[in-house]
Amino acid sequence: MYKSWISKAWAQNSILISIFAAAFIYWGFFFEFGYNFDWSVLFTVNPTYGENLGFYLIYGLQVTLKITLISSVLALALGTFFGLGRLSNFKPFYWVSTAYVEFFRNTPLLVQLFFWYFAMPQALPMEMRNWLFGLNYEFWCATIGLAIYTGSFMAEVIRAGIQSIDKGLLEASYSSGLNYFQIMRKIILPLAFRAIIPPLGSEFLNNMKNSSLAMVVGVADLTWQSQQIESLTFRGFEATTAATIIYLSLSLSISGILNTINARLRRTTQRKKDFLSQSYIFISWPFVKTMLVVQRGIAVVVPRQQQGLKLTKTQTAIKQVSLISWKALNAAAKLSFGLLFVYGVYLCAKGLYSFNWQIIWDSLRTLLIWRFPDGRADDIFMGLGGLSFSIIMSVIAISISFFIGLAVGLGRMSKNNILRIPCMMYIEFIRGNPLIIVIFWVYFFIPVFFNTFISVFWSATIALTIFTGAYIAEIVRGGIQNIPKGQFEAAMSTGLGYYRTMRHIILPQALKQMIPAIVGQFIAIFKDTSLAFVIGVMELTYVAQILNNRLMIYPFEIYTTIAVLYFICCYAMSILAARLEHRLTPDKVRLRM
Amino acid sequence: MRFWKSVFFALAALLVWSQVALAGPTYDRVMESGVVRVGIMTDSIPGAFYNDNNEWVGFDVDIAEEVAKRLGVEIERVAVTNRTRITFIQQGRIDMSVANMTHTRERDRVIDFSITYFFDGQKILAPAGQFSDIEDLVGKRIATMQGTTSEINIRNLLRELGDPDYASNVISFQRESEAFQALKLGRVAGWSTDSTILLGYAAQEPGKWELVGDFISDEPYGIGVPQDDSAWRDAINFALQDMWLDGTYMEIYNKWYGPDTPYYFPMTRQIEVWP
Repeated sequence: MYKSWISKAWAQNSILISIFAAAFIYWGFFFEFGYNFDWSVLFTVNPTYGENLGFYLIYGLQVTLKITLISSVLALALGTFFGLGRLSNFKPFYWVSTAYVEFFRNTPLLVQLFFWYFAMPQALPMEMRNWLFGLNYEFWCATIGLAIYTGSFMAEVIRAGIQSIDKGLLEASYSSGLNYFQIMRKIILPLAFRAIIPPLGSEFLNNMKNSSLAMVVGVADLTWQSQQIESLTFRGFEATTAATIIYLSLSLSISGILNTINARLRRTTQRKKDFLSQSYIFISWPFVKTMLVVQRGIAVVVPRQQQGLKLTKTQTAIKQVSLISWKALNAAAKLSFGLLFVYGVYLCAKGLYSFNWQIIWDSLRTLLIWRFPDGRADDIFMGLGGLSFSIIMSVIAISISFFIGLAVGLGRMSKNNILRIPCMMYIEFIRGNPLIIVIFWVYFFIPVFFNTFISVFWSATIALTIFTGAYIAEIVRGGIQNIPKGQFEAAMSTGLGYYRTMRHIILPQALKQMIPAIVGQFIAIFKDTSLAFVIGVMELTYVAQILNNRLMIYPFEIYTTIAVLYFICCYAMSILAARLEHRLTPDKVRLRM
Repeated sequence: MRFWKSVFFALAALLVWSQVALAGPTYDRVMESGVVRVGIMTDSIPGAFYNDNNEWVGFDVDIAEEVAKRLGVEIERVAVTNRTRITFIQQGRIDMSVANMTHTRERDRVIDFSITYFFDGQKILAPAGQFSDIEDLVGKRIATMQGTTSEINIRNLLRELGDPDYASNVISFQRESEAFQALKLGRVAGWSTDSTILLGYAAQEPGKWELVGDFISDEPYGIGVPQDDSAWRDAINFALQDMWLDGTYMEIYNKWYGPDTPYYFPMTRQIEVWP
């Protein structure tokens, strides 16, 4: 009786609507907020400042969009260049690309931005510094810093895309007489390109969200402007809500565009011509067109091979000359790259030699454990801080978000709307916003909604957990959807219920597949603990700032040290993950006879 | 599995434990619990900062400790920033904020202030010997901090002095230390905020920096307290006045701003004392 009733869509929807309505009525009318809402600050002229603060958000949106677009293009270029470098046979190029990818992927963007802005100019000569500062340095520092960061992720996506192509395909096309460029253009790149669109798309999305960090170097982006409204009018709730809605709609439209491009390029399923998909096609038209033009552009740049086998003498001569000059050019390029590489290594060595190592050594203890064990009464964990604090935060966030992700991921796949819709809303809402906004929400607005205060440490940890949970939920969903459907049916027909099917059949297999993605997410959380500095958690970045504030003249040393500390932890985690993955994947384990 | 269960329950217990009632007169609540939660900055030298031994010290810290002592309660220090201090008072997360906060009318609409416990004014810090007057800085970039009265004042000043790019020439940072770093890098020609903060930073490298021109504004610092709670505000005001009358205030003042300190700032005015 109850089961058949609950399986009807209208029953589920009406229960859901009544739950939302009850929550709305409770918080809207009966609940006593410690806060009076005043939404008019967002659209009326403020009497004190004589300005309409809503325009601030629009200026901020403009800056955010500008940073996002420029850095996306730059990141794609960097990613393609170094992605190909990761596959290159020319060793110095390979080493540089690998170093670039590993280093920038495994350190927090925040630390990178601080480094570019505060430390890097100190290493430059005075004239160059002044020249740089004559430009709009804040903006370009944030944009290029962001591009370098995103580029390292894109390089890996592009490398994986090219590598995922079956080697047999390559051999077949060579044996059918196509040359290298033709194979690249006709076979490999189109296939690789299609394979990488979903992960590349999510990198574009992350790039947009990460642009929110531009505010730490004084760029007036959307997050910055929402904080500006808050500090002018003390209306933080309203300003952050507005910023959240803008970020959410940006994310949703970006992912909408990407989904359409994906669908159009795949052409596997028949598209339904409803209004929604039509409008998506309309929106994505310029993007699809650009991609086609790029493809054609490649075709123009790379000339078709001569059809006939017989060549005239002049043609042979031209071919000979062009072949030799091509080889010479190639060698020259390799040589100059090699020299550049050696020079870069020399510069790094010189820079490291001139470091004030004593300062690093003296501050290492503070960076690692802050003032443990001599904490004051109002310290949490006996005055622990620095790197160990970051580790504690990420360990807590990792362990709890895993279970949240598991539950929400399963809920998202449920047929029951009562479970599915709230889970979907949670995932989309969290994934559509930058982490920094989620941290603000937890920190400032949990008190408004729940009348309770929690320390900075716990609010940052909760924000990290909630944030990561949404990402893990999507990983879980992907992992379960990869399991063949027949297995569900087989399990069900042997009489196992939903719970036991999941517990004994599906999850063990799915979790194994998910390991790389989940570990990637864990590394991301660890890096993201650096964002907790915005609310003053004593983690590594904040402690580094305190130190830098006091020592004042050693930003280069301090920021390099914390970058290396983050790198060591993240890189160790990824090595560990690779080992684990290797051990758990049965087809990679060699059989012994 | 048992481990995760215990972690979960520990977290739940912690959330419940940290629950504090929002509403209610602050004075009664502080006296009942015996703990006053004070918002203090962490990177304003010598107002409140971490010293070489990673201890949280400064003028504001000592004032807060002294007020708490006179009220007969324990102090719980809560780190605040320029942006968070007012929200925290509004939300009741702190009972008072001693965080070099200028008493302004716009702020007084949402929170209340004690009597002025410190008289400051805004100035501009610049490399020594480069500028002789504020007019010399027109058309140059100036750093300031987001969410402060200094930001609004300096922008208005540049506009009055006829700088066409007054909006883009003011670069706002999240923290004082970042603004100082931008100044040191040469990214900005000057850094403008309350003069005592500037003195604190300038003292780190004696002779390299100087304050340019006259005071741009008056910055009377008050202790921020929750709106409409006169019993609590009175208690703090009386504590401040008692400190002034028995000389404790000057002791603290001279410890941080006296002639023997690197942050020498002569005392020119008197705290308002009611008969």
